[in-house]
Amino acid sequence: MLYSHLCTPREHHLSRRQMLGAMGGMAAGLGLAGVQAPTFAEDLARNEKQVLLVWLDGGMSQLETWDPKPNTRYGGPYRSISTSVPGVQISELMPHTARQMHNLAVVRTMKTEDPNHSSGVPKILRGQPKDRGVVYPYLGSAVAKLLGPTSTGLPPYVWVKPGSGGFISKHAGFLGAKYGALAVGNGKPPENLVRPESISNADDEARNDLRKRLNERFAAGRRRDYGEANSFVFDLSEKLMQHADLFDASQLPANDVERYGKSEIGENMLLARGLLEAGVRMVHVQSYGWDTHGDNFNAHATRVPRFDRAFAAMMHDLDERGMLDNVLVICMAEFGRTPRINGSIGRDHWNIAWSLAMGGTGIRPGVVVGETNAEGTDVKSQPYDIGHMFHTWYSALGIDSQRTEYHNGNQPLPIAHDDYQPVRELLT
Amino acid sequence: MRAAALQVGFLIISSILLSQSVGAVEPLHQRIDAHIDAASDNWMIAPRSDDAEFVRRIYVDLAGRIPTIEEVRSFLHDSTTDKRGRLIDRLLADSDFPQHMTNQLHIMLMERLGNDPEWEKFLLTSFRENRPWDEMVREMLHANRENEDTRGAAYFLTSRLISEGAMAETDVPGLTRDVSRLLAGQDLQCAQCHDHVSIDDYKQRDFQGLHTIFLNVKQDRTATFPAITEGLMSKKHEFMSVFIQQQEETGPVVPGAGEIEIPVFQEGEEYKVPPDRKKKIDGVPAFSPLETLARELAQQDNAIFRRNAANRFWFLMLGRGLVHPLDVHHSGNPPSHPELLEELGQEFAAHNFDIKWLLKEIALSETYQRTSRLPDGQEPPPREKFLLAHQKRISPEQLFESTLVATGERRTSQAVRDEASKAEDEKTDAFRQQFVKLFANPPREPETEFEPSVQGTLFVLNNAQVQRLFERRKGNLIDRLASLPNENVADELFLSVLSRPPSPDDRADVDAVLAQATDRDSAISQLAWALWSSNEFFLNH
Repeated sequence: MLYSHLCTPREHHLSRRQMLGAMGGMAAGLGLAGVQAPTFAEDLARNEKQVLLVWLDGGMSQLETWDPKPNTRYGGPYRSISTSVPGVQISELMPHTARQMHNLAVVRTMKTEDPNHSSGVPKILRGQPKDRGVVYPYLGSAVAKLLGPTSTGLPPYVWVKPGSGGFISKHAGFLGAKYGALAVGNGKPPENLVRPESISNADDEARNDLRKRLNERFAAGRRRDYGEANSFVFDLSEKLMQHADLFDASQLPANDVERYGKSEIGENMLLARGLLEAGVRMVHVQSYGWDTHGDNFNAHATRVPRFDRAFAAMMHDLDERGMLDNVLVICMAEFGRTPRINGSIGRDHWNIAWSLAMGGTGIRPGVVVGETNAEGTDVKSQPYDIGHMFHTWYSALGIDSQRTEYHNGNQPLPIAHDDYQPVRELLT
Repeated sequence: MRAAALQVGFLIISSILLSQSVGAVEPLHQRIDAHIDAASDNWMIAPRSDDAEFVRRIYVDLAGRIPTIEEVRSFLHDSTTDKRGRLIDRLLADSDFPQHMTNQLHIMLMERLGNDPEWEKFLLTSFRENRPWDEMVREMLHANRENEDTRGAAYFLTSRLISEGAMAETDVPGLTRDVSRLLAGQDLQCAQCHDHVSIDDYKQRDFQGLHTIFLNVKQDRTATFPAITEGLMSKKHEFMSVFIQQQEETGPVVPGAGEIEIPVFQEGEEYKVPPDRKKKIDGVPAFSPLETLARELAQQDNAIFRRNAANRFWFLMLGRGLVHPLDVHHSGNPPSHPELLEELGQEFAAHNFDIKWLLKEIALSETYQRTSRLPDGQEPPPREKFLLAHQKRISPEQLFESTLVATGERRTSQAVRDEASKAEDEKTDAFRQQFVKLFANPPREPETEFEPSVQGTLFVLNNAQVQRLFERRKGNLIDRLASLPNENVADELFLSVLSRPPSPDDRADVDAVLAQATDRDSAISQLAWALWSSNEFFLNH
C-alpha cells in the first residue's frame, strides 16, 4: 500500500503554536531560549556545551580510516600505524589523527538499516527513532531545539558546506522551520549579512533608532507579540552582522590555513573553529565526494589525508584551548564501504559493519568500542545502531536522552530511539 | 461562576439568534456583528478604526497593496458618510482585485509548492469574471481541457502528483490530505493508517475513501498544459488499520456526501474513450470518481464544503478563522461562533458562492472595521472573540506591492502596469521573486500568521536593491520629500509610507532629524527606511 510518511510537522501546526502561546511567532527564523520549556531554559544557563559534527558525505571507508585490515583479502594496499593510544591502530592515511587518538573514541561495530544515500543520510542524521509518523529533525536542528543558542545569542545551528548557503529549514523536521540551519556555503557569508558600504555606522544607528522608536509607539495599545517577535529577529540579525567575519573564509589567519590544509575541508574546518569559539552551539562541517564506487584507493589516498590534517588540527586546537571540556566532536557518514572490492577497484555502500569517531565533552577518550571480524565483513561484538549513538551523544551533552521528550502539539516524542540506550563504555 | 454565566448567556443568545435567522432581513454584515457582539462575554469591544487605519487595511485586503498618497488623501478628505462602502465597492471592481485574489488563493491552495502560468491564468480569469467558488473548485478537481482559460485549474492536482526523483513515489496520500484540508477543512493525515488517535471525528475510512478517488489519477504527460488522466475504477479499495489488523474495503468517499457506489458496466462499455496503447491514449472511463467528487463536494448542499469555504474567506479578511486552525474542523474544535459560520456558509451558498459579495459583506461589518489599537488600560480580549482587529500577516506579494507604492516606484494600478514595458516588468519580477523567497514560508507550511525571519530581516537591513529604493531618483519618494520644505516632510512621509498623518511625536522625530542633518537627502532616506522597516509597515493592522 502507498504509505509514504504523511504525518509531517504540519498536523499540529497551530496547536503547537497555541502551546507556545504568545511566544509563538517569536522564535521565527532561528531558535531561541524563549521557546524552550523552563527546565531547558534553566539548563541553558549552566550548560554551554557545544557540538561539532564532521560529516563525510557519500560514506568514508572504514578500512582506509578507523578500522584497517592490512594484509587481508579485502584490506587494500594501506598499512596500519600506531597511535597515541597504545594498542590502537588506524590507517596510515591518518598520521595526524593518530597523534590525537587519546582525545578520541572510535566505534567499530556500527550496523545500521539503510544502504542508500537518499534515505540513509536523513536516517543517520535523524538518529532514526521509531516511526511515529513525523519527520524527525537532523542532529543540528535537534541540538538547536534542545539546547538553544549559547549565552552569546548567536544562531544555534550553522552548517558549513561546499556549494550554496542560505537558510535551510528542511533539517528541522517537525520542529518547524525556525530550527533549521544557517548554511555558510563555499566559505561565503550568508546573503545580505554585510551592510552595503554606502551606509555608514552612524547612519545605520540613526535609522535603526528611528525604527525602534516607531515600533515602540506602534506597540502602545496593541497586542505585543508580533511586534516583539519582529524586534527580536532584528536583534538576532544585528548580532549576526557583528560577527560577519566569522562566516567569511577570506578572513582566516594564514598560518592556520596552512596548518588545517589548503583544502575545502581544511578551510571549512577552520571556519568551524571560529564559529565554535565565538559561541555557536552546533556546527556541522560537510565534506562531499566520499562515494568511491570506482578507484577507491586512489580516491582515499587523496581525500583522507586532507580530512586527516583538518580534523587533527581541529582536535589539537580544541584540546589546547581547553574546549574539549565543552565541545562534543562527532565524525561520521551515512555508512561505510564494502570490504569487497568491486570490478572498478571501488568499494560500495556498507551499512553492516562500519565505524565512526567522537571525542570531547562527556566522551571517554582513547577507547575503541567493538570489533569487526578478521576481514571486516561483519561485526564480531555487539552491533550498534545510530539510535545508540544519539543516546550517547545526548548523554554526553547532559541531556537525559531516555526521559526528555519533544512535544509536537499533544504528541510527546522521544528524542532518540526508545529501544536503545547510551553506550556506557563511551561515556566518562 | 464565569462558566455558568457563560452557559446561561449562551442559551439566551442562541435563542435570540435562532429567532433572528429565521426572519432575517438585515444584510449579512449586520448579522455578523450581532453574532460577534452577542458572544462578547463582557469583554471590551474595540471601537471603529479611524479613516487612516481603515483605508490602509481595506487596500491591503482588497487591492493587495497600501494606498498611494493620493488615494489616502482623497479618502481622508472625503466627508460623505457612506465613503467606506463606496471605497469597498470601488476596490472590488478595480483591476488590482483579480491579481490580488489570484495571489491570495495561490498562496492558500498551492502553499508554495510551485506555480504554473496556466494555473495563474485560471485564477486570474476566474477572479476577473467573478466566477463562483463552487465552480472554481469543480474546475480544480475536474478541469475542462477544452477551455484554455481555465484548464490550468488541474495544476491543483498535477502539482501534487509530481514525483520528487526517480526513487520517490508520487505522494498520492499527500494529495488526498491536501484536498481534504483545503477543500473540506479536515486534516485527515493522521487517519491514514488508523482512526485518528486524538480526533474522534476523523476515521481511517474517511481518509481511505477519499484516497480511493486519487489512486487511479495520473498526470497526463502528453498534454502541454496541466492535465490529468483517470484510470478505470471497477472495485473497492482495500485497507487495514495498523492497530486492528483486519481487512476492510471502501468505495470512493466524498467529504460531506458519503460513499459513492461504483457503477457496474457491461463489458465493452467501461470506457467513454477506450485506451489505445499504440497511440498512447490512456482512455476515459465511463465512471469518473473525480467528476463525482467535484460535483458532490463543491455544491450548495454540502455543509462541509460551505463551512470550509466561508471560514477560509473569513480568514482572508479577518486574519483568523472562525474554525482555527483552518483545516481542523471537527466536533472537538468547534467554531468560535458556530451559528455565524453556519450562516456565512448558507448565505454564501444562497448567493451562488459569489466571492465578491461575501468579501463585501465581511468588509462592511463593524467586526472587520474595528481598530487594532486597544483603548488605554484595557486587557486584550481573546483572539477568537474578534473584538479587536487582528494584526494580520502581510503576504510577501502584498509586502512587495506595498513597498513599491510606499517608495514611489509604482503609483499606478495593475491596468496601467499591464502596458508597461516588458523589460521593466522582468526586472520587477525578479525583485518580487526575492521577496517571495525571503518572506514566504517553506512549501506546505500555511502562511497564516506573522513569522518574521532572520533572512528577511537581513534583506531589509542590508540588501543593495532595497537600499536603492531609498536613494533619491527622479520622481521617487525620496525625491519628492527632498524637494519639500522641512515643515512639510513629515506629512508627505507618513501619508506615503504608513498611510496616516504623523502624530505629534512622529513629527517631532522628523523635525529633529532634519534640523540636525548635515546631508539632508541622506537623512530623508534614513527616515523613509525607518518607517518602511517598522512593524507598522510589516503588519496588516
